[in-house]
Amino acid sequence: MATSGTTAPNWLNVDTEDEMPKLTTLSSCMALSDVQCDGYVRLLAADISLEDDEPSARLKVFRGLRLKQEQLLPGIPAAIESLYIDETEPKTPVIAVAIAESVLFFRHMKPYFKFTIPALEVDDLELEVWRQLPVMPTKRDALLDSLRNLEHAKLSRKSQKLLQLSEEERESFISTHADSPVGRHGNIVAMCCLKRVSSDANPPSHLVLATDTGDILILEPQGFNLVYQARTCAYETTPSLLSVQGTFETDFSILVGTRNGGVYLLRKSTNEGHGQEVFKISSPLTGLLMLPIDQTIVVTTMEHFYQCYSKRGKLLYQVQLNALPVCILSLTLSHFGITLLAIALQGGVVQFYLQRYLVDEFVVSSTVAAMLYGRMGMEDHVLTLVTQENQMFVKILRRLARFEPKSSALSLASKTAAGRKKNGDVSILDKPKKSSIFVEQAVREKQHAKATYGSFQVELWRLRHTAARATIDAINSSETSISGDLTHAPVKLAAEVCGTGPAFRLYLTVQNLSSFKMASNLVVLLHADRRHYTIQQSMARLPSVLPGVPLRVDFEVVAVLDPIDKLPPATLTLDNAQIRVMLLKSGQAKPLIAAAVSMPQSEAAF
Amino acid sequence: MGMLHNLADLLKIKKDKMTILVLGLNNSGKSTIVNHFKKSNEQSAIMVPTVGFEQQQFYSMGVTIKAIDMSGATRYRNLWETRFKTCQGIIYVIDSSDYMRFVVVKDELEALLQHPDLMNRNIPILFYGNKSDCEDALSSVKIAAALGLENIKEKPWHICSSNAVSGEGLEEGVQWLVQHIRYAMLNSHDGAKLKAHSKNK
Repeated sequence: MATSGTTAPNWLNVDTEDEMPKLTTLSSCMALSDVQCDGYVRLLAADISLEDDEPSARLKVFRGLRLKQEQLLPGIPAAIESLYIDETEPKTPVIAVAIAESVLFFRHMKPYFKFTIPALEVDDLELEVWRQLPVMPTKRDALLDSLRNLEHAKLSRKSQKLLQLSEEERESFISTHADSPVGRHGNIVAMCCLKRVSSDANPPSHLVLATDTGDILILEPQGFNLVYQARTCAYETTPSLLSVQGTFETDFSILVGTRNGGVYLLRKSTNEGHGQEVFKISSPLTGLLMLPIDQTIVVTTMEHFYQCYSKRGKLLYQVQLNALPVCILSLTLSHFGITLLAIALQGGVVQFYLQRYLVDEFVVSSTVAAMLYGRMGMEDHVLTLVTQENQMFVKILRRLARFEPKSSALSLASKTAAGRKKNGDVSILDKPKKSSIFVEQAVREKQHAKATYGSFQVELWRLRHTAARATIDAINSSETSISGDLTHAPVKLAAEVCGTGPAFRLYLTVQNLSSFKMASNLVVLLHADRRHYTIQQSMARLPSVLPGVPLRVDFEVVAVLDPIDKLPPATLTLDNAQIRVMLLKSGQAKPLIAAAVSMPQSEAAF
Repeated sequence: MGMLHNLADLLKIKKDKMTILVLGLNNSGKSTIVNHFKKSNEQSAIMVPTVGFEQQQFYSMGVTIKAIDMSGATRYRNLWETRFKTCQGIIYVIDSSDYMRFVVVKDELEALLQHPDLMNRNIPILFYGNKSDCEDALSSVKIAAALGLENIKEKPWHICSSNAVSGEGLEEGVQWLVQHIRYAMLNSHDGAKLKAHSKNK
C-alpha cells in the first residue's frame, strides 16, 4: 500500500509540551464555533464519561488545544451544532445541544432556550391505568399486568420506569408521580444544520432533527417553530445517520440512514409526507454522507466496503477496505476545488479518498472514533481526531499539500474492479444509457419495419439524384478550355489524341496564363464510360505550373473491343465517343476546367 | 588603506537602503510591527489583514529601511519566495500565544530556509516572538526550542519577544538586524575583493 513516506506528508501534526487533552466523544458531538465572537474559532466537544455509575456529559470549549471552559450537561447529547440564527451584527453563534427529547440552546455559553419536540399520542389504556393506580392500591398488580401487555417501546417513560422498579419502591414512585402528565416523547438521535439561504459568510440556519420514532423535523431557531415535518418512510423505522444538502429557501434534500441499513431521501416537496427509499443494504451502515458537489451518496458498511451511490440508488463504485470503517468525514478543499472523503479504519489508519482513488493516508496510535474538519483558531484546514483511547490529535493541512491518486492506488482500484467482475456484480458494468427517445424509436422501427425501409430507400435515391445533378452542374459550368476563377492563376488546357487504336495516347498541355502567379496543387482527372474506354491511370497530380512554361502530360487510353468480332461495342456512337478531362484544384469541389475530348474511331485490332 | 575602505563602505551603506522582508503567519502582527516603526503621523490606527503585500519605508539606526510586509494568509504565502532574491534581511514574526500553529510556522520556515534563492546567502533572520503580553504567550527560549532554531547553522539569527502594540522589544531586534546586514555586506564585499585579488595574481 502506498504511503506518503517518500514525499513530505500532507498533514502537519500539532504537538505541545503539555499533555494533549483527553476526550471521549463522537463525531456528531463535536463542533467548531466562534463562541466569543472574536474571530478565533474554538473547538466544542461533549466529553461523555461512562465510568461513573451515572453516565454524564460535559460540554468543553477548547481554545487551540487548551481547555478554557466546561459545563455539565443535563444528559448525554446526541449531537452538537453551532449555528447562526439571524443576520444581526455582530453575528453571534448559538450552540444547539440535542439531549433526549429536547434541544438546548446556548448563547455565549449560557443557557438560552430549551425546545422540546411535540409529544406523541399515549395509549388510552395507559392513561386509564395511571388514573386508577393512585386510588386503587389493591388492583395494582392487575393494572401493572395490563401495562406489561402493552408494547414496551410505546409506553411513556413514566410507565417504563415504574415497571423496572422493585415492589417496595413502586408505592412511593406512584404517589410522587401520580399527577405528572403521562407523556411520550421520541428521542432525538441525530441533528444537522440546514442553511436558510445560500451565502458565503455564516448564513442563518435551521436545524434538522431526526427522532427515534422516524420523524424528521426542521426547527426554525428564531421563533422555535417546526417548519417542516415528515416521516422517514411509510412504516416505523429508526434513523441513525443524517446528512443534509441544499438550502431551506430554495431546495434541499435530507438523507436518512436507518439502523436496518436502509437509506431514505426526503426533499422539500415531501413536507408532511414520507421519504422514499433510495437503496437498502444488508449490513448496517457505519457512515453516511451526501457529497456537496456531485450530489452522490457515500456510505461505509460493516462489510468493509466504501460505496458510492447516485441519488436514484444506483451503485456507482465501491472500494473494499482493509479494516472496518469507523467513521467518515468529507473535507472540502476549496482552494483545490476538490472534496476528499476521510475514512477512519479500525486499527488507527485514516485514509483519504478522491472519489474512488486513495490519495493519502496516515496512521495514529489507535482507532479513530470521531473526526472534525474545518476552520479552527486562525487556520482554515484543521482536522481534529479523537481516538477510542480518548486521545485527541490535531492535524493541519500543509500549504503545499498535494492530493493525486497514486499509481499503486490506481492499480489497486482496477484490481478491485476486476475482483468485482469476478463476483458477478453486473450492476456496476459500464453500459451506455438508454434514453427514452432511443427506446421509443426502437419500438417504432419494430412496428413499421417495411415503411421505414421504403422511406429510407426513397430518401437515399433522392440524395443520390441531388448529388448527381450537382455534379453535372459543376462540370457544365466550367466547360471551357481556360479557367475563369479569378482568385487563382488562369490556366489553359489543350488536348491532343495520337494513335489509331485501339490504343491511343492522350496528350494534355496545361499552360499558366498568369504573368506572376504560380498554379499549384493541380490534379487532372479523366473520366470515360468504362464500357468504351479503359484508362490505366485516370488521375495525375501535376507539379506546380510556372507562368509561361507549358506542362505536357500524357495518358494511355485503350478502346474496348469485343473479344469475338474485334469491333467496338454497339453502344459506342460518334456522339458519346468522348473522354471528359477535368482540371481540379485540390481542396476545391468545383473543377477549374472541364472539357470533353472527342475520340477518333478505333481501328479494329488484329 | 583597508580601514579606510571599510569606513567608506560603512558610509556608503548609510546612504543605502536596506530591503527587509517581513514574514509570518496571518494574524501574527507583521503589519502592526511595521506600523510601529513608521513616523507617528503616518501610523494607522486600525489594522486590517494585509492583501498580497505592502511596502513601507522607515528610518532606523541611520539607515533607510524598505520593509516589504507580506501577507501571511495561506493563499498569499506563495508570494513570499518571489521577494527572496532582492532582500537583505528577514523579519519572521511569530504569534507566541498560538502554539497550535507552531507546526505551521516551522513548516514554512523550513521551506524558506531550503529555498534556492536563500540557501547559500548569508542573510540574517530576526524572529519576533510577538504578543508577549498575552497570558498564553511562550517565552522566546521556548519558541526557539519548539521551532528547532538551533539547527539553523549557516545564517545568523536572533529571537526576541515583542509586543507590537506597545512597541516593547521591537527596537532591540531591529538594531541587531541592521548590524548583521552590515556585517553580511562587508563580508561579501571583502569576499569579492579577495576573489578579484587572487585573479590578478
